[in-house]
Amino acid sequence: MLDLAYISAFSGLRSIGDGRGVIARERRGIAIATVMARKGQGTALAAAVKEHFDINLPLGPHGSGSVSTSFLGTGPGRWLVTHDAGTPRFVERLAQQLEGLASVVDQSDGVGLLRLTGPALLDVLAKGVAVDLNTTAFPAGSVAVTQIAHMGVTLWKVDETPTFHIAIARSMAGSFLHWLEASAAVTGLVADG
Amino acid sequence: MRIPCPYCGSRDSSEFSYSGDATLTRPTPDNADAMFDYVYLRDNPVGLHREYWYHAAGCHAWLKVTRNVSTHEVIEAVLAHDEAAS
Ligand SMILES: [Zn+2]
Repeated sequence: MLDLAYISAFSGLRSIGDGRGVIARERRGIAIATVMARKGQGTALAAAVKEHFDINLPLGPHGSGSVSTSFLGTGPGRWLVTHDAGTPRFVERLAQQLEGLASVVDQSDGVGLLRLTGPALLDVLAKGVAVDLNTTAFPAGSVAVTQIAHMGVTLWKVDETPTFHIAIARSMAGSFLHWLEASAAVTGLVADG
Repeated sequence: MRIPCPYCGSRDSSEFSYSGDATLTRPTPDNADAMFDYVYLRDNPVGLHREYWYHAAGCHAWLKVTRNVSTHEVIEAVLAHDEAAS
């Protein structure tokens, strides 16, 4: 199989404005897959995920992970899986591990990932996200599939700093950066690497 | 209007598509008259009603939402596939 050259989804990310309100970094080289449980296989799927990854498959909109692999609940019987340890053919192997239990689709080249943090992050996200992201309603580990400026996003809170990871269709990356720059310019947006 | 998605939590109605009357049962395809009524003839109820809403911009689940169509008060939302299974 031909290995294609990697091209960054967020190569247009740049610092803007004064200050360090929001700090953004692209997460690169991550294997990404959607996993959808086959009919009636929910229990067996959870057992397989436990066996292969020692992860308790989340049944609600939460993330659950090991050091390098995360299963993020995105809907009933649906997960977004990310793996950042660079294991070759990770998604192919995942599909084999979950054979007959779930449909696994490689999204590594279709989804861009950003890591966002900074003291003004919640205020900036509030300009685009109609979901309460404060600690009481949305503690670390929570996942939301929603939209920002009509663009579908999956976001999850990694810690209470707060740090968010955000996944967005790669074809929307440019438009999303436009929204981020416009929304964070007043507090300063720092492109970190 | 906000809809309490059983999976995602409270979300703005703009994330959902309205997908029709949830009180009807689809007739068998060979019953043309019943199918005509099912597809084309709509009641216009006042007060409590049950409707399908699809969480298109969220978890992609179909919901059965009970709401007061006069006041827009949402009383309950359940996953349609849960209800179908029970
Ligand atoms: Zn939902």
